[in-house]
Amino acid sequence: MALILGIESSCDETAAAIVAGEGEVLSSVVASQIETHGRYGGVVPELASREHLRAIVPVVREALTEAGVEWNALNAVAVTSGPGLVGSLLVGLTYAKAVCLVRGLPLIGINHIEGHIHAVILEARLAGSSLELPALALVASGGHTHLFEIMPKSGKMVYRLLGKTRDDAAGEAYDKVAKLLGFGYPGGPVLDLLAPFGEADAVRLPMAKMKGNAMDFSFSGLKTAMLRWSQSQDMAEEIAARRAVLKASPKPKLEQWLAVTPRATLNAVAAFQRVVVEELLRRVERAAEETEARSVIISGGVACNAGLRASAHSGRINCPVFFPTPHLSTDNAAMIAAAALPKYERGEFDDFTLKAQSNLTLA
Amino acid sequence: MREHQYQTLTEDDTIALGARLAADWTRPSVVLLIGNLGAGKTTFAKGVAEGMGIARAEDVSSPTFPLIHEYGDTGELYHIDLYRLDTEAEVETLGLDDIFARPAVVLLEWAERFPRLLPEERVEVRIEAEADESRRITVTELP
Repeated sequence: MALILGIESSCDETAAAIVAGEGEVLSSVVASQIETHGRYGGVVPELASREHLRAIVPVVREALTEAGVEWNALNAVAVTSGPGLVGSLLVGLTYAKAVCLVRGLPLIGINHIEGHIHAVILEARLAGSSLELPALALVASGGHTHLFEIMPKSGKMVYRLLGKTRDDAAGEAYDKVAKLLGFGYPGGPVLDLLAPFGEADAVRLPMAKMKGNAMDFSFSGLKTAMLRWSQSQDMAEEIAARRAVLKASPKPKLEQWLAVTPRATLNAVAAFQRVVVEELLRRVERAAEETEARSVIISGGVACNAGLRASAHSGRINCPVFFPTPHLSTDNAAMIAAAALPKYERGEFDDFTLKAQSNLTLA
Repeated sequence: MREHQYQTLTEDDTIALGARLAADWTRPSVVLLIGNLGAGKTTFAKGVAEGMGIARAEDVSSPTFPLIHEYGDTGELYHIDLYRLDTEAEVETLGLDDIFARPAVVLLEWAERFPRLLPEERVEVRIEAEADESRRITVTELP
């Protein structure tokens, strides 16, 4: 059984994971989630190569220890080669190359976005549920909003880009709106938590009108509409109250937020959430009708959104919808190792000329 | 210091203005895009990329989360967004000096909060929303 070490350092997270040949995740370590950062003296976010550099060795060591795997048991090293910050990518890539060189292991370069898709395929395989191709994949996070069609072609997966955001990513819209309403940054998950307590019909917000490719996404108009709405309200007092809550406890609970969020704001949050969910799922729905897709994959940090999950599972999409569990939704290295498994099985390896590509595309 | 004012009526206008102005920028050039949330900074950047002939407008998206978007085969255009950074120390880790020295046009959003880290020779593009899509755009060449 093959054992693959996955390494991810494309943006804010330094992560390492061990995944076994059947797709079992033996360990998945993300630097910012290690309880005591004191163990390697790191700070978050790891946006600088310096921080990745500080974290990479202890994070890999932790992944090996948690998995109970020795260095000499590994069969390959998978690493994100893009897209992302070049300086950050280089840390993971250089580390991976060094390990491969010393241990004589094959190197497998992985596209970060393909990793998000494979997080779902991996879990579906483990759960024994059939994720059939062709499929659609919506990858929505703070930095990406892409809709792909995935077709099988001689044992491989071939991607076709159906649409992508022309301005803000879905997760970015959440985080920016949360900030302007005083829920802190990044506060996307707080909006998702509060949305069920408002009346979405009470606030009118625009849906995007796309010129050209109707499958493209746009969230900046919605963000601006939320800014205008907030300017039309007298919000200074409630925003001050929310900032005070945030200052008192870094992760306020639902009741604490509800205590400082009046009905009007809850309504706006509900309306905002509904528009984002509709923008995302209407395109998925349409693509599911227009293509031969037999399943839908929704991945990336926004896949944690409860409103999105509930709506996607409401029967509106004409084929089964697959989400990753939350810890595999956000950036992690298990998804990188998972994406490498089929390449490993085919013997598709990279040599040491593999480069960090900030603008690497999947299709 | 030279200053010019423009008014654009639509998003397409703003893109066209970005394209026109980009034609005059030598490389290296550092250009600050200054304006509130939703003012149209990324829209203007779309025009610059089109004007330089290195990316289509629809392929230029917000760099807020990734911090840096790089365009062109040899990195002729950088689009950088410091929105989610709070301290000079964080910004310094991005290695901006290194990017400023390259033969590229470097567009920066939310960088006016870190004046100490910016070159004196730069262009500032201020974008203010007037009505729906109408924008007042002030271009200042420093020093």
